[in-house]
Amino acid sequence: MGSSEERVVAVIMVGGPTKGTRFRPLSLNIPKPLFPLAGQPMVHHPISACRRIPNLAQIFLIGFYEEKEFALYVSSISNELRVPVRYLKEDKPHGSAGGLYNFRDYIMEDNPSHVVLLNCDVCCSFPLPQMLEAHKGYGGMGTLLVIKVSAEAANQFGELVADPVTNELLHYTEKPETFVSDLINCGVYIFTPNIFTAIEDVFMQRKDRANLRRATSFEALQSAAKALPPDYVRLDQDILSPLAGKKELYTYETLDFWEQIKTPGMSLKCSGLYLSQFRHTSPQLLAAGDGTRSATIIGDVYIHPSAKIHPSAKIGPNVSISANARIGAGVRLISCIILDDVEIKENAVVIHAIIGWKSSIGKWSRVQGEGDYNAKLGITILGEAGSVEDEVVVINSIVLPNKTLNISVQEEIIL
Amino acid sequence: MSRRLPASFGPGTEHGENSRGKDKPSLELLSFHSIEALKEVGVTEVVLAINYQPEVMLNFLKDFESKLDIKITCSQETEPLGTAGPLALARDKLIDGSGEPFFVLNSDVISEYPFAELIKFHKARGGEATIMVTKVDEPSKYGVVVMEEETGKVDRFVEKPKIFVGNKINAGIYLLNPSVLDRISLKPTSIEKEVFPKIAADQKLYAMVLPGFWMDIGQPRDYITGLRLYLDALRKKSPYKLAVGPHIVGNVLLHETAVIGEGCLIGPDVAIGQGCVVESGVRLSRSTVMRGVRIKKHACISSSIIGWHCTVGQWARVENMTILGEDVHVCDEIYSNGGVVLPHKEVKSSILKPEIVM
Repeated sequence: MGSSEERVVAVIMVGGPTKGTRFRPLSLNIPKPLFPLAGQPMVHHPISACRRIPNLAQIFLIGFYEEKEFALYVSSISNELRVPVRYLKEDKPHGSAGGLYNFRDYIMEDNPSHVVLLNCDVCCSFPLPQMLEAHKGYGGMGTLLVIKVSAEAANQFGELVADPVTNELLHYTEKPETFVSDLINCGVYIFTPNIFTAIEDVFMQRKDRANLRRATSFEALQSAAKALPPDYVRLDQDILSPLAGKKELYTYETLDFWEQIKTPGMSLKCSGLYLSQFRHTSPQLLAAGDGTRSATIIGDVYIHPSAKIHPSAKIGPNVSISANARIGAGVRLISCIILDDVEIKENAVVIHAIIGWKSSIGKWSRVQGEGDYNAKLGITILGEAGSVEDEVVVINSIVLPNKTLNISVQEEIIL
Repeated sequence: MSRRLPASFGPGTEHGENSRGKDKPSLELLSFHSIEALKEVGVTEVVLAINYQPEVMLNFLKDFESKLDIKITCSQETEPLGTAGPLALARDKLIDGSGEPFFVLNSDVISEYPFAELIKFHKARGGEATIMVTKVDEPSKYGVVVMEEETGKVDRFVEKPKIFVGNKINAGIYLLNPSVLDRISLKPTSIEKEVFPKIAADQKLYAMVLPGFWMDIGQPRDYITGLRLYLDALRKKSPYKLAVGPHIVGNVLLHETAVIGEGCLIGPDVAIGQGCVVESGVRLSRSTVMRGVRIKKHACISSSIIGWHCTVGQWARVENMTILGEDVHVCDEIYSNGGVVLPHKEVKSSILKPEIVM
């Protein structure tokens, strides 16, 4: 296998505005894939992981956001990584397999030997080069990244059974009601181009079945009405389940971290996971300081170069501060994401919280969450251009954009 | 005045009784101001009637004694004796043979202390006992003192009257002739319900209306309000006692030995005790900080009572009627919303809702 014949194309599914509703109010003014985790857009983390794949020809982002929302990011990241990154807009959701198939001509234009497919809302270390080596060794059509989770958590995901010796995928079931396995699908795949044939087969079967139904009973007519649109193909139910146990699909288990970023709470947790990964992959991105000339830094902290931090502030662990933020004297920040243009005034405290763009936090005020990343109000979120006045305390609350808080609140959603 | 006037502090009025038996830090500050006022009218000895372990009190009593040049002793009841029984217990300390009256003050109230006027009133009326009364908006909540408006002679007491009989209630400040002690035996007795009605029946009880503010501070919230009223009164009478400076807002009573760091904002309605250290960037409002407390950098405290020798950690937030008992340590970055913390505890996790921390 000469490396000259090997070409890899990566496809990242970014979803669309109707899918990010659980991410409100943070998704109200930025597509969720561009929300910063550890100071970088969410989608940046899988993109830089793809960059580590040898012979990477191109990266496609597929979603149904407007092109203009990604234009700026796509051009800057292409320059930065010196790999073409393109955004392909779907007219409507086609499912992850359907979306892939829809753009097969683009994806195949470089005649790649492998296609890496992953979901943008996955947070993990993306061990793609190792996974690619394993995939080549298995000789199958596809390899899934899998991870062991607790038996109680497993049913939130696609549960699967793999052969302990050959790593072949033996059985796959999406969000089962009863326990099948504690091994789950991470939403990261490597396929050979044969995947397009497999998806096409699903289309053909569907068409045949639809034709059959049209000719037969009333009962079948009813179930056809409930069926998905003919061009909607899910990867999990429509491809992985039927092909399990047919020596086509294999698994690669990661022992590293893995999370799904569905909610703002999880984004705060994942920001922390990426920050701790920087310790190994990009230590130059992490801030340092002991309070003499710059602020005291505890643990893993990202500070954008344009942010202004008073030396008497104490920051960390797990803090990410975006562009043009101003952090005043005696401010304490713990486990939080501070977005662009935020001002935090003297002696304020922010713990387990996300502070939205252009917000202002008054002197001696306190914005705090309990730190339960899975609970609805487990972290406090301040929407864009929020204002917390001096000495006000905001605990376990979600505040929608453009709100001014002049009295303390706890466990509230401020609309 | 050269007369020797003993004074006694009762453990609580009928409507302030819920504070009994608690090791309450509020006593220190309040006692100080009333004892100071007693000293001014020639009182030479104060007896504190207490019902809890005296060592908590004894430390600061020594300070008071030397500072005010007044003798302070404790009379400790071993079983609850009501509001009159403790006077029988302290009988030997209250009677000195001179026949002069003695003061009885309730530690649960804070008010202005017009003791000189009280003595004058008592002598002029020639009764056996004089109680101070205060006007309230809702007399139906209290025991009302029915009295002749002209002379102040008390006719009777009506507990929580359903129809209006008057709007004056017992303020918990009394001037009693020694003969009153002959009416009290050493057993649980209520001075308001058992002793005063009998004196009134004998036509020997008078009531003087208390000018100025009065507050039952049996509850912490009332205590904070009481402190505000007290500081307001101090602003009018002795403004030089209040702190001034760019970091001071409103009325602040700052002990001369307390140290305040840079970038702090203190007030309104704050009292800071002896030897306290308030580090830089601290915010204090509507709070009492007892002796020997350290408040670390950037902490923010409002509407709370910080007991003796407590420490409050960096970036801690203490608010909404948080009460820290003696020697409590609040760790860095902790939030306390209305926590009531018993003495000698360490607060390591945030208190999000008002609760008692055992």
